[in-house]
Amino acid sequence: MSPYDDYLACLAEADEEGAVAVARGLVDAGTDAERVLLELVAPAQRQVGEWWQRNEWSVAQEHAATHISERVVAVLGHGARATGKGRVVVACLDGEWHALPARIVAEVLRLRGWQVTFLGASVPVAHLVSYLHQQDVDAVALSCALAPRLQAAHRAVQACRRAEVPLIVGGRGFGPDGRWARAIGAHWAADATGAADLLDDPAALRTESAGSLAHLADDEHTALLKRRGDLVDEAAAELQRRFPPMRDYSDAQLDATMADLAHIVDFLAAAVYVDDPELFTGFLAWTGEVLASRGVPAASLAIPLERYRGMLYDFPRTGTMIDAGLAQLRR
Amino acid sequence: MNAPLGAPDTAAPALVQLLDHLDEGVLLCDDAGIVLYRNPAAARRLPAVAVGGSMPDDLRGRRVELGAGQVAWYLQRASDRASEQANDHATFLAATARRLGGMLNADRVCRATVELAVSSLAGAALLVLPTRRGRARCWHAAGSAPVRQDQVALAALPAAVQDTLDGNPVAQPFLWPGGTPFLGGEATPAAWVVPILAAGAPAAALVVTEVGDLALLEDFAARVGAALEAAQLYAAQSRVAATLQESLLPEPPAPVAGLNWGTAYRPARSTMHIGGDFYGAHPIAGGAMFFLGDVSGKGVDAAVLTGQVRHSLRALRRIEEDPQRLLHVLNDMLLEGVSDGRFATMVLGTAQPRPGGGIRLTLAGGGHLPPLVLRADGTVETVALRGMLVGVTDEPVFGRRSLHLAPGETCLLFTDGVTEARGGHRGAEMYGLRRLTTALAGCAAMPAPALAERVEQLAMDWLGGREHDDIAVFAVRAEPVRTSPRHLHSVHQAATVTVS
Repeated sequence: MSPYDDYLACLAEADEEGAVAVARGLVDAGTDAERVLLELVAPAQRQVGEWWQRNEWSVAQEHAATHISERVVAVLGHGARATGKGRVVVACLDGEWHALPARIVAEVLRLRGWQVTFLGASVPVAHLVSYLHQQDVDAVALSCALAPRLQAAHRAVQACRRAEVPLIVGGRGFGPDGRWARAIGAHWAADATGAADLLDDPAALRTESAGSLAHLADDEHTALLKRRGDLVDEAAAELQRRFPPMRDYSDAQLDATMADLAHIVDFLAAAVYVDDPELFTGFLAWTGEVLASRGVPAASLAIPLERYRGMLYDFPRTGTMIDAGLAQLRR
Repeated sequence: MNAPLGAPDTAAPALVQLLDHLDEGVLLCDDAGIVLYRNPAAARRLPAVAVGGSMPDDLRGRRVELGAGQVAWYLQRASDRASEQANDHATFLAATARRLGGMLNADRVCRATVELAVSSLAGAALLVLPTRRGRARCWHAAGSAPVRQDQVALAALPAAVQDTLDGNPVAQPFLWPGGTPFLGGEATPAAWVVPILAAGAPAAALVVTEVGDLALLEDFAARVGAALEAAQLYAAQSRVAATLQESLLPEPPAPVAGLNWGTAYRPARSTMHIGGDFYGAHPIAGGAMFFLGDVSGKGVDAAVLTGQVRHSLRALRRIEEDPQRLLHVLNDMLLEGVSDGRFATMVLGTAQPRPGGGIRLTLAGGGHLPPLVLRADGTVETVALRGMLVGVTDEPVFGRRSLHLAPGETCLLFTDGVTEARGGHRGAEMYGLRRLTTALAGCAAMPAPALAERVEQLAMDWLGGREHDDIAVFAVRAEPVRTSPRHLHSVHQAATVTVS
């Protein structure tokens, strides 16, 4: 068994001491702590995410495993000494609860000599701003895996710019190649190493981009979110009519369905926000897989989409996003 | 156009009309200074100058040699020049206010001040910010070079700078032998120093070279002073707030062998990040005492009372270890007036690890939501723990329950911020106990910190970013027993370990 398999086994058994021992064993045997973070902890976490996505692991197992990896990350970063490189604040964007990727970034930066403050999961932009007023920091790194938080991310971009602190964003929520980070005018790093390299390049960090959100002048994004409640109710009623298994759903399943319907609207709104249909189709592909692994046919997604399409007949840009989604579902 | 323009019929009529309608005055003279032509704007501005007459000596404007001895003068009104310059100044000062207004951090204000100064006001700039014991921090830049930050001894600075920091209120010129490291240029840069006044006193000194406009420099210094004053005030207040906040926030539970604690705390949206929910745990003989509760009211007032309750319990546990009797003592204390009419709901318990694994819990209830127990088989039980509010009546009845947690089982306490969170897709529905117990089924395998965070996340997800009440979660878990210690094969290998 490789250390990686050992580590996964510890996560599966929620064995914190065992997981710490695997990681520490590698470091004691001479492996760089940064490599252990990036080549053991990070891929293991991706594996855990995939197991959850395929319904092989429960949310509880995923949480327990994540908690253990967070402890491991803290142990690995312990003992790193700041070498006067400067100060960086690392945080998860408001609404982002998966703190592990941000924590890995924080520890990698610490190992590279930065003085790092980790503000934790789901940090409201107002808290971040008040922290920036209190501390003179050289940069902020924000993590988010959820595209619907792009508007909040955009607010953070503006707040950091006003405070004149460079900001780096990262995470799946900014698109596969960081394209939505560019749309909101933010610097983007693909991973912890990318963030560390960007921080070492102050000239690049100081360049500012306005982003490309001129399309928001059509007001579709705001108007769409205002109709969120109506849209979800109507789509739920439509599902009741056209998707018979829903009639036998438990309360918890109904809650989950309502949450899914609301998610569709949120991702649709995010696609409208950055004007990229691929944000929406990508989300549908992912959701389709999650639903399929839980016994819900992905085709059932077409029912709410068709309803949304009908209700949003006077939203041209949103309409093209939904059409792209429907076209993908039919393929 | 060899013929003098004074004879318009010989020039192209369209060109003459163009000149006639210019706002700028135009004069054409020959090499002897005789005026050959003036357009109407020049006639209005210089009524005494006539075609054929001499050009005035004190003419101010742009002079262009046209060849063949002819000279053209382009005249702007003095007020035009002044208003253009005033416009530039206003633009610069507005940019200064916009840029400095967004930052409430003194260090960044200082850095931006130097950047702004060298961008439009001066060749080089140095800002000196005294700290303590005769030291100062300084930011400086020359031309387009990046701003550098240094430390200096005040005594090493020129007398003019020291005088400015000591209270000289006006801009002073001075020569600075050895000032090159800060200001660049020659060995002895010529500079001006102005005070930066914050809260009426000199907070910093700004030194600049090649300054064109003293009035503009003073206006600039006034705006910097306002920004620095705001930043320093903010820093002072946030230091006080942080200290108070520290004393009002729940403390992390003390580690106790055999027990695994988990907590989550998210007060209602407030700048202070404090609220009326509280929890804590302290070691006692044979285990630990722990509690979670909620005082009536919100914000700072409620937080102050939580601090009193927490500190009281910490002290009282040394003389009374029975949770139910401890609630009575606390009840009397609240009634005696420390609470200003406020009351609390809480669950107070003791946890005693058993020799064979697992823990024995004794819980006392004071009008709080019932605890949940996550059993090893995945079921979630509600502990029937009743009781009256704490701090309302002098003869209260508090509930009491004892139970056993097997290794790996967890008891979960939470405040109504969780169950009364209003959300769902319309934002009007309460989360409720039913949803919580359903979501917790199967969570028994989670370590206590992960479970507490999970509950917080469930509530926050349900809220979907909406306003909420204080939320606190406290979990105590009996350490699970490891049946077979993991055999770690590969970590003992040589230094060339491949990770995956």
